[in-house]
Amino acid sequence: MLVTRRRFLIDGLRVTALVPALAGFARPCSGSQAERVLVVVQLTGGNDGLNTVVPLRQDGYFRARPTLGMKPSNLHALDADHGLHPSLGELGELFAEGQLSVVQGVGYPGANRSHFRSLEIWHSADPAQPPRGIGWLGRMADQILRTAPGSMPALHVGDEELPLALMGRSVFAPTVRDEHSLRLAELPSLADERSRLVAPGAATGDLAFLRGAARSAYAAAERMERAIAQPASSAYPDLDLAAKLRLIARLVAGGFDTRLFLVTLGGFDTHARQAQLHAARLDELARSLAAFQRDLTALGARERVLTFVFSEFGRRVEENASRGTDHGAAAPVFLAGGRMSGGMKGTPPDLEHLVDGDVGFTTDFRSLYTALERDWMGLEPSTSVPAFELGG
Amino acid sequence: MSDELLEPWRPTAGAWDRAAAAHLYRRAGFGATPAELERALEVGHEASLEQLFAERTEPALRASIRPLLAAGELELLQAWWMGLILAGGAPLHERMTLVWHDLFATSNDKVDDVRLMHAQNELFRTQGLGDFRALLHALARDPAMLVWLDGDSNRRGHANENFAREVLELFTLGIGNYEERDVQEAARAFSGWGTEGRASVFRAAQHDDGEKTLFAHAGRWSSDDALDLILAQPACARHVARVLLEAFVGSEVQEPWIAAVVAELVRCEWNVERVLRALLSSKLFFSPAARRARIAGPVELVAVAARALGARVAPRRAARWAAEMGQALFRPPSVKGWDGGRAWIHSGSWIARHNALVELARGGADEGEVHVDLALVLGAGAGEALAAALLERLLPDTADAELAAALRRTLRQPDLEQARIAGAALLLTTPEFQLF
Repeated sequence: MLVTRRRFLIDGLRVTALVPALAGFARPCSGSQAERVLVVVQLTGGNDGLNTVVPLRQDGYFRARPTLGMKPSNLHALDADHGLHPSLGELGELFAEGQLSVVQGVGYPGANRSHFRSLEIWHSADPAQPPRGIGWLGRMADQILRTAPGSMPALHVGDEELPLALMGRSVFAPTVRDEHSLRLAELPSLADERSRLVAPGAATGDLAFLRGAARSAYAAAERMERAIAQPASSAYPDLDLAAKLRLIARLVAGGFDTRLFLVTLGGFDTHARQAQLHAARLDELARSLAAFQRDLTALGARERVLTFVFSEFGRRVEENASRGTDHGAAAPVFLAGGRMSGGMKGTPPDLEHLVDGDVGFTTDFRSLYTALERDWMGLEPSTSVPAFELGG
Repeated sequence: MSDELLEPWRPTAGAWDRAAAAHLYRRAGFGATPAELERALEVGHEASLEQLFAERTEPALRASIRPLLAAGELELLQAWWMGLILAGGAPLHERMTLVWHDLFATSNDKVDDVRLMHAQNELFRTQGLGDFRALLHALARDPAMLVWLDGDSNRRGHANENFAREVLELFTLGIGNYEERDVQEAARAFSGWGTEGRASVFRAAQHDDGEKTLFAHAGRWSSDDALDLILAQPACARHVARVLLEAFVGSEVQEPWIAAVVAELVRCEWNVERVLRALLSSKLFFSPAARRARIAGPVELVAVAARALGARVAPRRAARWAAEMGQALFRPPSVKGWDGGRAWIHSGSWIARHNALVELARGGADEGEVHVDLALVLGAGAGEALAAALLERLLPDTADAELAAALRRTLRQPDLEQARIAGAALLLTTPEFQLF
């Protein structure tokens, strides 16, 4: 009932958006939709989807995974056929509460097994073309900036290089590592001259780019000062991902106007001795994400923050001789929070019909992007791939 | 047209100026101290180049890490290398070592052994200007590389494709120049190479000696055979040419530049030193298209700024600054190395640059790790004289009137030392100074 109504509204609004002269693209959605936040968690290295959401009724799974196969009794049940990895207990709780959706079999045609190329594909939403320096989040940030000039639509929390996903045409997504990383040490006598020297002026190319980046940086430093004046929750585990998510919760609750966040959790490239490594990474994911959801609930922000967890590819179905797994194709993704109803979505992997030894994709990741871009954020989607039905 | 690009540059009167000399030192090395720059102007560009190629790192300084390796601390190794860079004893060799570290990017995060990381770094230092083919062959047996890309797991019948894939994708050919099948076949050829203790070892029993087909050539290829087949691919020379051009000429590499450097690589039989001699003395290198055409990376930024001010910065402090800006030595973010160019710059890294450069201009403030004598470098003058000295030292090729006006306003303060600090901080933190 609710679903129908919301979809109707969105469809109606898309009509308005097509007539910008009349309605203006400035307010394409209701007040609440304009406050919605999308947090993207990237599991870098290629997460082993089969050991994350285990298809416990498929013999093929146990045949292909003589040492890495999970004992069904240790799993956290999702439905009769699937269980979550033993380290994902806290995600199991979120699932039981209806706060977590699992979409199985997510990928794209012509799966690429290079980390870098596959990440570029996910980041740009374009499996066919080489990237043109614009990512799907950057594209949304560009749109947000048009309707909310001077805001900081997107933020990268981490210490790696700015991911392609966040690069936009006009937006420069800042990176922050922690609460202290945007503290500026300035000589008081320089503040005024500084803003003149980074003004756009007549510069082109790299110089224009550097000036834009400097302006974003100085503006971000000011915003951060204000946002971290708010107290932080102490109920997070002492883990890198948890610290990043806690910062995001503070920024969201502290009135930061950023609507798109990207964080990464590395270490999923488990070619050898996978069992322990993978368990530790999943443990970090589950405990951090659960703490984030609890914090958002306490802050009254849960309904307006949706978290999307993906990896550049799943791993080969058959384990290798190093008790690890090599690069594969489709895998499940997670969606947490927002207003979704939770549950199992997509199509379970069919291990009797593999594609080059990998799980074939049944849901195009771009259909999820369309749903997130249009139905969740109220923006124009990156591609014309029809939206995946998120529900809720 | 591409034939002319690498013709020797013959400067007309006055063309070998402060800007040209600073350009050569920023690219071929890690910048010049005021004294080095004066000397370069005096002896001319050919003698300056000659010296860049002749210099070798002081043996005592290079050996100074040995007693410290037992501690197993990466911070000591990072500080040691940063020390070699800041000392400027062999700028071109250190520059090339950094270029190879970025291409054959290996991180201690996985290798977890500073002795192996040090050994690989010395490999780059000693063989980095030699035959590229020999360097690649050495890399395939480098223990740090074997640990980094899972050599030990690559065994007959149980191929681990990690090394094979990255060799093809990142080190030599690039995506689009090989098939998925080549990765699998190359992995078989590399099988058997692993590590024992800190040494590399070939385990014949684990080597797949069956027939493999690489780039349509069938044979019972060994690891060395596979590398030779890869090196024979036309895409390989192009890949190396691009790496050298991005490092030394500019980030917007143009097709004729690649053609010219590929021809030079062939002519010089892959000898990196000979190719660099041609490149660094070429019309292309000194052309306007190559000037200020790269966004400085953190390590070079820190070193160039410190050296331009004649500052003495504790290497561990300099290494930490570079890490805060996004370039922790021996810890590249992935096997792809640092993306470089615009990827260096985001709000967090900009503020890290800003803060470090302001700290450098201030000097002396922190635990005695930063010493700078601005009066010595900039002279006793104030006002116009000070403005001219600052621009000459830090931005000799920037004639931006607004920037000069902002500098003059900044220098209008009663305390001369404070004016020097503010002026230096202002110029170092401009977007212009980040362009090398």
